[in-house]
Amino acid sequence: MARIIVVTSGKGGVGKTTSSAAIGLGLALKGNKVVLIDFDIGLRNLDLIMGCERRVVYDFVNVINGEATLNQALIKDKRVSSLSVLPASQTRDKDALNKENVGKVLEELGKSYDFIVCDSPAGIEAGAMMALYYADEAIVTTNPEVSSVRDSDRILGMLASRSRRAELGLEPIKEHLLLTRYSPKRVAEGEMLSVEDVEDILSIPLLGVIPESQAVLKASNAGEPVILDTDSDAGQAYQDVVDRLLGDTVDFRFLVAEKKGIFSRMFGG
Amino acid sequence: MAFASIEFKGSSFTLSVLQLKTSLLVDIRADLTKKIAQAPDFFYLVPLVINIEKINDSIDYQAVKLLIEELNFTFVGFTGSVDKEQRQLIRELGFSFVNTARASTTNGTSKKTTAAVVVEKAEKIDSAPQRQLYTDKVHRGQIRSGQQIYAKNQNLVVIGSVSAGAEVIADGNIHVYGALRGRAIAGATGHIHAQIYCQNLEAELVSINGNYWLSESMEDHWGSPAHINLTDNELTSAKLI
Ligand SMILES: Nc1ncnc2c1ncn2[C@@H]1O[C@H](COP(=O)(O)OP(=O)(O)O)[C@@H](O)[C@H]1O
Ligand SMILES: [Mg+2]
Repeated sequence: MARIIVVTSGKGGVGKTTSSAAIGLGLALKGNKVVLIDFDIGLRNLDLIMGCERRVVYDFVNVINGEATLNQALIKDKRVSSLSVLPASQTRDKDALNKENVGKVLEELGKSYDFIVCDSPAGIEAGAMMALYYADEAIVTTNPEVSSVRDSDRILGMLASRSRRAELGLEPIKEHLLLTRYSPKRVAEGEMLSVEDVEDILSIPLLGVIPESQAVLKASNAGEPVILDTDSDAGQAYQDVVDRLLGDTVDFRFLVAEKKGIFSRMFGG
Repeated sequence: MAFASIEFKGSSFTLSVLQLKTSLLVDIRADLTKKIAQAPDFFYLVPLVINIEKINDSIDYQAVKLLIEELNFTFVGFTGSVDKEQRQLIRELGFSFVNTARASTTNGTSKKTTAAVVVEKAEKIDSAPQRQLYTDKVHRGQIRSGQQIYAKNQNLVVIGSVSAGAEVIADGNIHVYGALRGRAIAGATGHIHAQIYCQNLEAELVSINGNYWLSESMEDHWGSPAHINLTDNELTSAKLI
């Protein structure tokens, strides 16, 4: 049975798509069959981050409407053969998806994949609800600031009340906290919430902390998910997240500001 | 014949009565809206009986009910000493007509606007207790931003935190075994003895019997276990442990 994981947040621009791409690719690199689905209909971002935007012929909405088969729409990743992307449509609006047909597509994918990673749009409207409805697990992507934490809290409420698991009274969705764009320096200066603050407010288990990193922008411009940049702090932090999802216990890194050497301190590097 | 799953019992309750002095809905709406604005929490979902004995002309019963519900009261029925035909009409329209309990059974201390009323056909009449005893509604788990829980005619026990942006309401007391960061409204339908307890007070608003505090008034026990109650119609907080 495939694990259906939604990457969600409530708020936009917190790193959902970045995380979906990195985690999806990381899981595939570990030998799992993974499909990444872009639920952000109308924006179409995931294919860019994955670097497959030029290979989009059919999309998720075409499949939902029966205009294309799943096999026609799925784009196989050129780096890892066990990874596929189901892109969003750029021309349709958010109402193009419906529960019943999304359910059918997920069921079909579940037969041949180990992980289905759903990249959710922002907000708490229909699109985001659709992305989380069938989830078994949720990666609640949060930035260390008050408004993002508040939106994540709201999404946690939705996961517990509006999902399929909630409606059927099944075991609740497994919740994971992913703190992204974390800057230990700004936390120390009191400009951002700390890991402990966020854990205290949301009280769900911590899956990972991704530092604010230049490597992320570089990676998205290149269409190479940051997890492939194994020298970067963000790439390593995403690798830890993947290992934890696969059941390993891994210590948390990048939680404190690096001590600067005497030279950088003198020259402000 | 006895049923395993249900049992009918008669019981008497103290209910708020709204005395109408006009049949003009615009006027009723205007005055009610002003009244509610004075203490929104106090009136929220309050069960209301409408007394129509002062209305001499005709009145649109259905419209009255809709107005009452639109303003977030819980409509119970109509009351007042009116003639048989009018009662009959009210019943035929599908509304209940409730009779006030006889003077001997009413609670002497009740205010002008409240009266103990008894739904007709109730089998037994108890006098309304001075201090209500509520059962507990227990909620396990955190109450998240955007969620609202209402313990109607009950105390509310939350085993978990109440997030900022969440709201807990009880007709009785509220206990939060966790942090209270959202809004807590105890004694929601009018209950001066209602209390609020929490392990960490960081609330956006606390209210008892319509008296409320915003965060800024909670300075004394902010971030610590606290107990809030109403003393001489004023909210007071104390260290819980
Ligand atoms: N760890 C990070 N460090 C620096 N920038 C980041 C990080 N994570 C995301 N970003 C940037 O934040 C922006 C929003 O990221 P994205 O993944 O598109 O968010 P979402 O899908 O939640 O809207 C992008 O410009 C991305 O490059
Ligand atoms: Mg996105």
